[in-house]
Amino acid sequence: MFKLDRRSFLAGTAGFSFLSTLPSIVLADAHGDTLRVAIAGETGDLDLLQNVSTLSSYSAVFDALIHYGPGGTLEPGLATAWKVADDGLSISFDLREGVTFSDGTPFDATAAEWNLKRWMGVADFSWIGIADAYDSIVIDTPNKITVKLKRQVPAALLELTIVRPVRFLSPKAAAGQPIGTGPWIVESHSSTETVLTRNDAYWGEKPAFARMELKVVPDELARANALRAGELDVIGGDWVAPLSPRRAKALEGEGMTIVAEPGTATTILGFSPKSPMMQDKAVRDAIFLGIDRAAVAAVLFEGYADPTVDIFPATVPTAGSRTPVPARDVAAAQAALTAGGWAGDAAGWTKDGMALEIAFLVSEESFPGSRRIAEMIQGMLTEVGVKANIETVDNATMHDRRPKFDYDLTFFATYGAPYDPHGSLGASFVTASDTGPDGKIYIHPDLDVLVATALETGGDAREGAMQAVYDWLRDNTAACPLVVVQRIWAVNPRVTGFSLPVTDYDLPFKGITLG
Amino acid sequence: MKNWPWAILAPALLFVLIGLFAPLIMTHDPGAQDYGALLTGPSGAHWLGTDYLGRDMFSRIVGGARTSLVAMAFVLLAALAIGVVIGSFAGYVGGKTELVMISVIDIVLALPSLIIALALMGVFSGDNFTWMSDYWKMIVALTMAWWANYARMSRAVVVAELQQPYIEAARVMGASHLWIFTRHILPHVLGLVVVYASADAGALVLAIATLSFLGLGVAPPTPEWGQMLVDGMSYIEEYPSLVVIPGLALTAVVVSFNLLGEAFALQKVPRAVRGRFLTRKKVARAAEESARKEVEA
Repeated sequence: MFKLDRRSFLAGTAGFSFLSTLPSIVLADAHGDTLRVAIAGETGDLDLLQNVSTLSSYSAVFDALIHYGPGGTLEPGLATAWKVADDGLSISFDLREGVTFSDGTPFDATAAEWNLKRWMGVADFSWIGIADAYDSIVIDTPNKITVKLKRQVPAALLELTIVRPVRFLSPKAAAGQPIGTGPWIVESHSSTETVLTRNDAYWGEKPAFARMELKVVPDELARANALRAGELDVIGGDWVAPLSPRRAKALEGEGMTIVAEPGTATTILGFSPKSPMMQDKAVRDAIFLGIDRAAVAAVLFEGYADPTVDIFPATVPTAGSRTPVPARDVAAAQAALTAGGWAGDAAGWTKDGMALEIAFLVSEESFPGSRRIAEMIQGMLTEVGVKANIETVDNATMHDRRPKFDYDLTFFATYGAPYDPHGSLGASFVTASDTGPDGKIYIHPDLDVLVATALETGGDAREGAMQAVYDWLRDNTAACPLVVVQRIWAVNPRVTGFSLPVTDYDLPFKGITLG
Repeated sequence: MKNWPWAILAPALLFVLIGLFAPLIMTHDPGAQDYGALLTGPSGAHWLGTDYLGRDMFSRIVGGARTSLVAMAFVLLAALAIGVVIGSFAGYVGGKTELVMISVIDIVLALPSLIIALALMGVFSGDNFTWMSDYWKMIVALTMAWWANYARMSRAVVVAELQQPYIEAARVMGASHLWIFTRHILPHVLGLVVVYASADAGALVLAIATLSFLGLGVAPPTPEWGQMLVDGMSYIEEYPSLVVIPGLALTAVVVSFNLLGEAFALQKVPRAVRGRFLTRKKVARAAEESARKEVEA
């Protein structure tokens, strides 16, 4: 019979310990040419026309005619050149020659026309200016097409850089088959991971490694721990797998490389235009002046955010002139209330028998971390004498109440690159736009006219027309911009040459080599 | 009472005392933010340190005890009152009325209380309930999810007591229904449901914390343990105390209330004491046995 003595116990323990390391050794070797990236949700089948798949992986598999470059510059994609007619009513594209989809189908004018007609002129995509203004497509040569428009769309070229539906699918792809011309080919996708293999026939710079595994890890702490354990190589990106400033700080102290750059989306405190309380500009001014944006950026974003009072950050095109961020001024906030006919002090304010008390609608599901920002702002407003009642609601309630402006204060964020500024302006500041559950930041008849003019103005006059919108919003304290959260990624030491993807809708792989 | 394990029951009593006298115990305003003292450790100025907004953790724990105590008391009283009235009425009236009412009670009991509370909180977040604060929505939701157990128990006690000869005697002597119910049956009902309620208090404190943890309970800046837990989650790696302190407070109170309930259920003798009592009894029996053997010898 087997007898367990001290020696055999120790030998057995040592043996098991060694054996337990074998899988990780084998696994590490197996991942030698594979970049493992965390994604917060499964990619789905990357249908370009359905609003189902997550936005993080489209640009790896599909190309657009024009690609979004740093600072909103336009870079050649499947179109090598483009020309907007003088009257702005047609845009011609020289298509890249010798490009094939990953199923071998050639990309040419016929394939381009087939793709563009799937969404241009289709009611579901009328939120895209160029789709709404579409008139016809003319195939000029096998590698040149012209899109004719019913009216000018100054942001048309920028619109062609967005994630979907503007990218190109093989006309021979069966339903549910994501076949594009991009640098990666979908090998498989499931609820736990999507595997991409390098497209060796890619027309551009090919990735330096052969595979990319997109691991679905919904929980942020689990993602950070997987990065520490070497099971993931890269985490981050607002639309890929968000990394909070707090977690980034923790990882930085443990030898991971943190790469952060100024963001492209602004976190905004929205005033309900239908709330009687918030229709009073004095109240809006008091809130605007009573918030310490620098403290919000430093305390809750650990410095990974930049305080702002502008609607768009300088990282998006035609964002307007920069406004210096004012220091928090409680006395000025109270003076604004007094000037507006309110009576009171830090203990509270009244006007016509009505107490200054506002409903602050917050949903952690809709906007992670918003409750803590709300608590901080609540504390700041209390010192002014404004009582903010935080109402924490679920996503469904937020989606119900926000479009109805059923709140006094709530959080919004601009869309960020590549959608801004035209995307947020055309959706969140226009009375007639349909933003569904997202609601709108502010609407006003005067603002509608200014935004319409700005969005329809092209050429040199565009900058001025956009600035007129920004000036109106500022002069009327129509919104309360808070911070621009930086784009944060964390990379383990195995990865070299990491640089942030151009937008947070893109996966990182350009320039990366694996150790 | 001297046999009670005070060390185990102390957290529950401490919780009640802290909740009652919270304003006198708090060293700081629990909502006061101090950006110059973020995430500090325990010190003379802040006995349990500060949180991510520089708020005093000790004062927030004390304030959280008061929040939970008040909410728990409201829910327990309301659930107990509703449950006793409905259950007793069903049991006393009997017949089809009882059948219908007990069916409703069974349906409510078939669903987990927290799920009912969550669903009701969802309903209350609609347009028609904006006049109610989140705090009262939580209390109403928990009450509506919690009354059924008391109703079932009350009904069972009433039905059992109605079979007793002394009730029959009271009827023969011409006592009214109200007299019989209030003088003879209600004391029995209350005796049982109060015992159950003492054990239920811990579960309620946990439910209140759970709703707040899910963002559906008490609204900031009112301190609440569940809310402190969820807020501390983001900092759990570097500052685990933000989670551990409210977690320990919650655990101590829940365990303590459970033991208190058990103590009441075992005729005011907690299991630990009962264990010691049994041991003493065994020793006494053994001594008797040996004495008997000695006499026989």
